[in-house]
Amino acid sequence: MTGEILFQADNISKTFGGLKAVDNVSFALRAGIITALVGPNGAGKTTLFNAMTGHLVPDRGAVTFLGESILGLPHWKVARLGIGRTFQDLKLFSHMTVLENVTTATESGSWLWQTGGRAAQVERSARIERALDATQLQRRRDTRAVDLSYAERKFLSIARIMASGARLWLLDEPASGLDRSSYDRFLTVLRNEVRAGVTICIIEHNLDIVQSISDRIAFLDQGRLLAEGEPKTILSDPALAAIYFGERAP
Amino acid sequence: MATYIINLAILIGINAILAVTLNFILGYAGIFSLAHAIFFGIGAYTAAVAAMKFGADFAAATAAGMLVSGVISLALALPALRVRGEYFVAASLGLQMLALTVFSEWKSVTGGIGGLIGIPPPRLFGFDVSDPVLFLALTLACLGVILIAIRALVRSSFGRSLKAIRDDETAASALGKNVALLKTLAVMVSSSFAAVAGSLFAFFLSFINVESFVLEVSVQVIAMVIIGGTGTLLGPVIGAAIVLLLPALLTYLPYLPPTEIGSIQQMIYGLAMVLLMIFRPSGLWGYGSSQDRKRAAP
Ligand SMILES: Nc1ncnc2c1ncn2[C@@H]1O[C@H](COP(=O)(O)OP(=O)(O)OP(=O)(O)O)[C@@H](O)[C@H]1O
Ligand SMILES: [Mg+2]
Repeated sequence: MTGEILFQADNISKTFGGLKAVDNVSFALRAGIITALVGPNGAGKTTLFNAMTGHLVPDRGAVTFLGESILGLPHWKVARLGIGRTFQDLKLFSHMTVLENVTTATESGSWLWQTGGRAAQVERSARIERALDATQLQRRRDTRAVDLSYAERKFLSIARIMASGARLWLLDEPASGLDRSSYDRFLTVLRNEVRAGVTICIIEHNLDIVQSISDRIAFLDQGRLLAEGEPKTILSDPALAAIYFGERAP
Repeated sequence: MATYIINLAILIGINAILAVTLNFILGYAGIFSLAHAIFFGIGAYTAAVAAMKFGADFAAATAAGMLVSGVISLALALPALRVRGEYFVAASLGLQMLALTVFSEWKSVTGGIGGLIGIPPPRLFGFDVSDPVLFLALTLACLGVILIAIRALVRSSFGRSLKAIRDDETAASALGKNVALLKTLAVMVSSSFAAVAGSLFAFFLSFINVESFVLEVSVQVIAMVIIGGTGTLLGPVIGAAIVLLLPALLTYLPYLPPTEIGSIQQMIYGLAMVLLMIFRPSGLWGYGSSQDRKRAAP
């Protein structure tokens, strides 16, 4: 079920002032599966993503993608290697239309005009249409992002990463606040993408979603990686459950 | 009377070029510069020197102005755009003050405070285009070409990247966009096009000095963009027309003592900007209403 190691973090730490937001964490993401990153609020999940994507540089540790170190690379270079991410606060391009949001995600590779000519253009539009179809945003394509509903905005952030062609997706609470039917649709999108070769690491609070979608779980608490393994092992561990639900042992 | 109207139209055209080019960075890329008058000035001085010392015609003098302006904009953009937005505002203010000092002190080139006098009449392809009607046509042609170029840029992937950066820099870089490079290019394009306005201005007046390139001019161009509508193609043109026509119209109002026109004008601009911010934050020509902005808040 698990393939080659796509991404690896070794002993990474990040402190803010005196706070150890990420404390000596090592973990790997294997190709072709969904890894869930779970943990209580403030556990350091988002900070770990930031350290993985070059958004911030860890104080210590190593980060490798496909066997090459990406430590210290700027955000945009990491993105061009094929690591895409969504944000907890979405960070949509609010005053651009849905179509522009998705289109610009396909156009990172050059400056004034896109290279590759007609064939590349056709390939990019195919990616755009596929992303809009999968997220059911077709009929909203000319609507500005600010005018979308909550669920539509969440789907737009997925459409954007889909269109970007990233092969590793880091999703920061993409399903939070979605109603039942939206998140079923959302899970379908993720499953289809994984089948098509994408690798996903998803931060998610809802353990039902985690259980139904993930192949591995990494459990983070107070900056430390407490456990990593098969969902049934992690989810049935009473000690982890106690931490997760806030019944911390004295 | 006819000459007066033609001259006013030429000035509106020149200011429209300034507003349109400032809007390219302010409205599309979200870069707030207080130094636009400097690139206007660099275009004017370079064109004037090219014409006076080297006998350049309008096209050659303008090209020289664009080149010098574009290169000097790099000096501002390269260090300043690597940091966050507020620092760029501060850096551009610094450049505005520094460059103005250079304009007034570098006497051998800029003529110092007195400026450059006796800029030869503009020639284009061997013809004299100093006749007001011809010069107006030339101004409008320059404005037209710049509008077409900016429209093409805005609709290209470059324009989409700039808008993405304006809306969210972090998300743009997470999609692989080299934010610093794209912003630098945008500033360079904007500054070299602003130099065209400078060249027109120098040939139009046949005389220039530092007063035309002071901070107030930078601020006035910002007002044109905001009044007309940031991030729209024609809004800044309309903004430039309104800002320049207002004083002209005020002089025709009876009962207004001429000495007070200046301050009344300032009050009208101020009031207009405040009302626009409240009721039409995207400008007269801009999209949407204040409701949109409210919904945009998280
Ligand atoms: N830029 C920052 N400066 C200072 N402290 C920070 C910064 N970013 C995060 N922190 C702190 O680091 C800790 C971990 O934050 P992080 O956002 O990574 O948690 P999280 O697991 O994503 O939580 P949540 O589930 O609430 O999103 C928190 O205590 C947070 O306040
Ligand atoms: Mg978080």
